[in-house]
Amino acid sequence: MKVVATSYISVKGAFLNEKKIQHADDTNWLKSLYQALEIDYPKFYKMDTLSKMAFLASEIMKNEIAAVQTSDQDMQLLFANSAASQQTDLKYLDSYANGGTPSPSLFVYTLPNIVTGELAIRNKWYGENTFFITEKFDEDFFKEQLQFAFSRGNKSCLCAWVDTPTDGIEECFLFLVSEGENKPGNLELLNRLNNYRNE
Amino acid sequence: MSELKEQLKAQIIEQLNLEDLSPADIKDDTLLFGDELGLDSIDALEFIVLLESNYGIKIADPSEGREIFQSVNSLAAYIEKNQ
Amino acid sequence: MGIETKLASRLKPVYLTYGSLVSPLGIGMEQHLTAFNAGKTGVSFQQGTGFNKEDYYLGKIESLSNNRYTDLLSLGFNDFVEKVGQELIDSPSTLIIVSTTKANLNDLDSDTFASTRKFIQETTNNPNTPIFISNACISGVIAVNTAADYIRSEKFTDVIVIGIDALYDFVVYGFQALYALSNEPSKPFDKDRKGISIGEACGIIHVTSNKPTSFYVDYLGGASSNDANHISGPSRTGEGLVRAVNRSIERSNIAKENIDFISAHGTGTVYNDEMESIAFSRLGVNHVPTNSLKGYFGHTLGAAGVIEILISMLSAETNTLFKSLGFDEQGTSESMNIITNNTQAEIQTVLKTASGFGGGNAALIFQKTL
Repeated sequence: MKVVATSYISVKGAFLNEKKIQHADDTNWLKSLYQALEIDYPKFYKMDTLSKMAFLASEIMKNEIAAVQTSDQDMQLLFANSAASQQTDLKYLDSYANGGTPSPSLFVYTLPNIVTGELAIRNKWYGENTFFITEKFDEDFFKEQLQFAFSRGNKSCLCAWVDTPTDGIEECFLFLVSEGENKPGNLELLNRLNNYRNE
Repeated sequence: MSELKEQLKAQIIEQLNLEDLSPADIKDDTLLFGDELGLDSIDALEFIVLLESNYGIKIADPSEGREIFQSVNSLAAYIEKNQ
Repeated sequence: MGIETKLASRLKPVYLTYGSLVSPLGIGMEQHLTAFNAGKTGVSFQQGTGFNKEDYYLGKIESLSNNRYTDLLSLGFNDFVEKVGQELIDSPSTLIIVSTTKANLNDLDSDTFASTRKFIQETTNNPNTPIFISNACISGVIAVNTAADYIRSEKFTDVIVIGIDALYDFVVYGFQALYALSNEPSKPFDKDRKGISIGEACGIIHVTSNKPTSFYVDYLGGASSNDANHISGPSRTGEGLVRAVNRSIERSNIAKENIDFISAHGTGTVYNDEMESIAFSRLGVNHVPTNSLKGYFGHTLGAAGVIEILISMLSAETNTLFKSLGFDEQGTSESMNIITNNTQAEIQTVLKTASGFGGGNAALIFQKTL
């Protein structure tokens, strides 16, 4: 298997294949990225942080993704994080715990896999998706899941570590992997993620 | 009535996270669930919350909402009638 | 033959066996068989459980304390260990997979998955990091599919799949805000259905490469697929479910005519059940005896796929098609063959389906050796 492209979204900006392509404003950094990247998708504003980050990360990788796609259902989405939907869970809880009313639009985001749903809707991707929770980014874990995905007949996988940890940085590391010869090899995933984090 | 309508526009923008818009962008007769604003069924439920939280009006059946939430005009008319 | 069927035919066998099941109907497969034979429901009237103190029907396990999640996990896990033995649990060739949508919400301020990790660390000597799948209501089916991947890769000989979700105001209020809750016990596929009844449960399936000496079924194949339509409403055409089932059939190397029984998702909402009828009709399987188990348990979210597979295994073991509790009259635009009474029938090949928020759909197929 082969890493075809990577992208990264954080308060530092938007990065594609290890090059910074857009700087983010300090305040409202996600909105500033969305506007600077000139994407037209009003649903963006309703998304929670996880979905916004993953959305932007995949938008800037659109060309690379289109180039490997063989059909609308042969690309698996393999996503993971450490905090699930905790950030939105707390916002939803807050919507009613202190005198308000439970918010339906917040409640629908209290599941981490809504992220994959948002991307599937935007791009009409009908393939397989799974959202996993691991304590930290685990390269071996992703490699295992990638092997399985290819063994089942998928041709490519769009993988993401997209997290909103309370004691860490909000980030989305997106990587597109194509089948090649289905041998794990060294995908250098953790190195790439660390490079992005250290930009 | 026009004060209520301006207030409603601001509340709609806030409740539904329509960050790109300002009240001036929503006309009194804009079809809220038409193509312009891209609102969906979850947003319709947020309207119900808005009516209850801000105006004390309860809607028991979400399907009643379609007519009431057609535009700022119909929303304002409903509020005036039911407060 | 496509690539996927070639793969299915040379794949290593994967067996599914019991297991444990903790629900309002009791603990263990025997107690559940008794309950199902008697048509007993685990869904009960729960006063003042709505946000404005409305009354709802919930699948509540009365014996759990305020630490519902950890109590539920203990009950299920301890029952399971009693059956299979500590050695299997502790073995380095055994992997644990947990399917849950909210985990332990009492820990929302810190880490809702921590207490599960701690529990496994304290009650087992298993050296492998447990895997968590949090993919809304299809998590359970995905977890079993993932377990099969691990078995077939020969990384492990045994995988323990735990499906668990506990009742929380957080969840009840949320579904209430979506107008998805019924004020009556849910009636999947029925023309008067008004919504879901939430439930809680813990189910455990033992997935293994070693042919069990007690009852087992052969896992054949499974798949997931996204509707690519809406984050909380199902596709009107059932596109994702159609694709998930078709891919499961291809991967299982069977013909759809082989399917004897369908354990559907059937939540009792107008939209979900309608979507399933459309999908099954498009698939040409809407004549196959079908039920939803959510009339017995309520919708148990991350536990649903697992506990419903367990009961479907019980169906296959006893050759009993269990009545789809809550169903009286067809209420979907496409016809379905909903099971209206417990019936004896030869059940060999079973299709399990699930659908969930985020546009997810998942399916799997298992077969009893005749």
